[in-house]
Amino acid sequence: MNKQLAMVIDSSACIDCKACTLACKVENNVPEGKWRNWVKRSEPDFNKPDWMDHATFVHFQPGGCMHCEVPTCVQACPTGATYKNEKDGAVKVDPKLCIGCGSCIPACPYGARYLHPAKHIVDKCDYCEKRRERGELPACVITCPTKARVFGDINDPKSDAALLLKKNQSVRVINKESDTKPNMYYLSTTAPLNWPVKARMPDAIQLWKLTGPLIWGIVGLNALGVLLMLGKQLLMNDKAPETDESHEETRQS
Amino acid sequence: MTSPIEIPLSRRSFLKWSGAATAAAAVGGKAPVLYALTPDESNKTSVKPESRYSVCGMCLNACGLVARVENGVITKLDPNQKFLKSRGMLCARGNAGIQQLYDPDRLKYPLLRKGERGEGKWERISWDQALDLAAAKMSEIAKKYTRCGVMFTPGSDSQSLFVHWFAEVFGSYNVTTHESSCLLSRNRAYLDTFGEVPFADILHTKYIIIVGANPFEAIITPDTIDLMTAKKNGCKIVVLDPRFTKTAGLAHEWHPVRPGTDMAFFLALCQVITSEKLYNETYAQEKLSGLEQLTEHVRQYSPEWAEKECEIPAADIRRIARELSAAAPTAIVYPGRRTSDYVNSTQIRRSMAIVNALLGNWDTPGGLLAARQVGLSGPELPEAPFYDDNPENRLDKGMAHMMFEEEGAFKHMRDAIIAQKPYPVKGWFIYRYNPLQSAANRQKTIEMIKQLDFVVTVDIAMSDTAWMSDLVLPAPSVLERQDPASGLQGSAACACVVARDPVVPALFESRPIFEILKGLAGRMKLAEYFDFTMEQYRKQQFKLLPDAARAIQEDGVYYNPSKLYGIYEGKIYKTLSKKIELYNERYAREGVDPLPVYQPPKPNPVNQFRLVVGRNAYFTHCTTQNNALLNELMPDNSLWMHPMAAKKLGLKDGERIEVTSKAGKGELSVSLNNGIREDTVYMASGFGVLSKGLTRIYGKGACIAELIEDYADAISGNMAMHETFIQVARKVAV
Repeated sequence: MNKQLAMVIDSSACIDCKACTLACKVENNVPEGKWRNWVKRSEPDFNKPDWMDHATFVHFQPGGCMHCEVPTCVQACPTGATYKNEKDGAVKVDPKLCIGCGSCIPACPYGARYLHPAKHIVDKCDYCEKRRERGELPACVITCPTKARVFGDINDPKSDAALLLKKNQSVRVINKESDTKPNMYYLSTTAPLNWPVKARMPDAIQLWKLTGPLIWGIVGLNALGVLLMLGKQLLMNDKAPETDESHEETRQS
Repeated sequence: MTSPIEIPLSRRSFLKWSGAATAAAAVGGKAPVLYALTPDESNKTSVKPESRYSVCGMCLNACGLVARVENGVITKLDPNQKFLKSRGMLCARGNAGIQQLYDPDRLKYPLLRKGERGEGKWERISWDQALDLAAAKMSEIAKKYTRCGVMFTPGSDSQSLFVHWFAEVFGSYNVTTHESSCLLSRNRAYLDTFGEVPFADILHTKYIIIVGANPFEAIITPDTIDLMTAKKNGCKIVVLDPRFTKTAGLAHEWHPVRPGTDMAFFLALCQVITSEKLYNETYAQEKLSGLEQLTEHVRQYSPEWAEKECEIPAADIRRIARELSAAAPTAIVYPGRRTSDYVNSTQIRRSMAIVNALLGNWDTPGGLLAARQVGLSGPELPEAPFYDDNPENRLDKGMAHMMFEEEGAFKHMRDAIIAQKPYPVKGWFIYRYNPLQSAANRQKTIEMIKQLDFVVTVDIAMSDTAWMSDLVLPAPSVLERQDPASGLQGSAACACVVARDPVVPALFESRPIFEILKGLAGRMKLAEYFDFTMEQYRKQQFKLLPDAARAIQEDGVYYNPSKLYGIYEGKIYKTLSKKIELYNERYAREGVDPLPVYQPPKPNPVNQFRLVVGRNAYFTHCTTQNNALLNELMPDNSLWMHPMAAKKLGLKDGERIEVTSKAGKGELSVSLNNGIREDTVYMASGFGVLSKGLTRIYGKGACIAELIEDYADAISGNMAMHETFIQVARKVAV
């Protein structure tokens, strides 16, 4: 089975100290005002008479790019810069291909992406790729006081992440209308759950979905025409003048 | 080489600039050029990063870290995974240590005041000029007013011990430390109960009551991490706090106690435990002194009585007393850290210590632990000279019942200096201490400074105290320093030794305090007392630890596998009765209540709120608010207020308000928060600064030191910072 890097998070251990967010910021030179990861917070309802009965009044929930199985950001990217790396299952941004159009940003239900103001490309968590190349854990994982973030290949049954996942009930935090099958698992008590938004795909892609079949039809007809012309040329073996054929470019998504 | 740059640079652009030996102009943009010594990054070839051990200096915990160095520049700080005390972690502040090192707001070279104090006009001078001047001024004061005419505040980092030593050989007893605005009342209370200040074995405990402490935010290693581990292992956490802190939010129970009434709760616990005989009788007979007097004394303090004071239901108090006793001796009333809160803080903490004593948790797993043996030796230093013209005592002598001579009490010292009684103090030497932000009643500190002829501050950044000084000397961060070895107590985790070596050379013209003091000693005929190098000093410290130096080299830390539990087996307690003193014999002799007697807190004046202060996980006292990385987490402070209280004042969330106390005033925004009592308000420390050298926070928020009135704990002299009431009003646009 292919590698799938993932995070399994025991958010009940999170104390919201923000060590992970700063470790990430320094490691990845994330500019001021931007973040690659975060800690969400559930608020107790002080007006409820029984709010004190809950075992945990406040829940802090660390997060970041979830390196989804069905990444809507990949679907939204017009250049192929955002892709899912087959080797390790991480969703990556190729800085050479990214044109900074920002289409992927609203396509992420988690707000995990931002436009880098200086580089003019989109940036997000890459599980600290450079650290991993040196055999180190991601910065947010290693720095965490309570080790709430556990990282590893969940397809390797011996990894800490897989073991934690196996031993506990877990949930994935999703928007029901855009279930991207995230590779960030939370132990089941986690909160809040209702924050991911519906993935908003770029207009061009939505238009493509509507008009796609029609365009394919036209392309098909066009190709048929080309074939016919070719056949005609071959059959007739004629010295016909070169024709200026149009080349439809299509992109596999 | 001059540069007109005045804009604050970000960390990265700063690094880029530094190669060209240019950097942001320092204070208010008035200063001339300065030199940044980090190597040029522009021609860098990719070199394999080096890893070097160090120890964090962003707060006092001293957590082990590994610095990644690329082309001579530190690019990342990671936790030292072998560091047991911190459980292999590095918090947000630790991660931001890199910013302290490369902060354009750092002090870069010696500065001499030119205009009025606090005006911000400085002249760059050479180190020789600076040291000549400081030595001359201090000698002049010593000659005119005796050597006790110079006050020393040594800060609390790993080189502070040299400031203490300097003060001793210079001949001044007037040394006041950070501790009198921190934990002296706790120390007093536990010393006067157990004969020793304990460490809580949180990791192994099953029940913990946390009052006047916030360990999930005010990070203490290993306590913070161990508390979460203990919770996972089934430990019950009960928190009393007027504020819904993150510790309260992650506890099993939160009781929004009425401020200043904690003692009522603990005396009621004592009442339940003694009247229901929930303690171990054999243990009590053998180890405790004064159980009868206590039983008699607390008869008046029933849970029903306490409920009226602390507003915690009597049934809960009784239940907690029984649950706690059932879990004993693996149960703890957390001793806490900063206990500079009330005028009777020592007695409040005594009532907590007494409950611990009744639980029989001393020196046992999951209880309160004695200090473990670390094994460092005290280097042999020459005997300090005696100056026979000096006054008899330190200036603040006798201003509190049982002050710690070696710590003093800043509040009392300041009062005495203002009054110039019993004798004048005219000089002040400050190392990394900032009372203008941390000590109650800033106006009084300013008044004190007006009495002084010479004030010199050594710090990394232009703190408010540096801003008000005559001479400012730049110190390096811990990543640039060689330090003496320090012994650390890590509760059940370890007893260990650390010692820093520079990860990178000191930037700019910064000099470690050790070098500064050596320079001063040489100019004041005291050279013989500083006639040693850091290596020699350390070597002597390691005299009895032959493996320490190598372990520190290899792992960044040395562990002493010393005894953890049962240290007191067969030994007496260091108290008058030689037992654990519920009833304190010395207090009785000296006219202090030998058992804690409840005194209700002052009632809130009409339409006023009790101001409480406290830490969060991003700020160490008032030292890290201007750090760009941490500042982004909290760029400003605001006043927490309950929505019902705000409604009565007609205030909306986020509105600008004016806060006024008897001590001073401030302006900030209000943030409505259900997690605070209606009669109480809270604000974070470190804002409302005077110093324009702190470019990110100048002009932001309000200052706690400006608002808090100067009260002190009667027994220890510890500052009492929760005794102030403030008025809150909408800021009227002018």
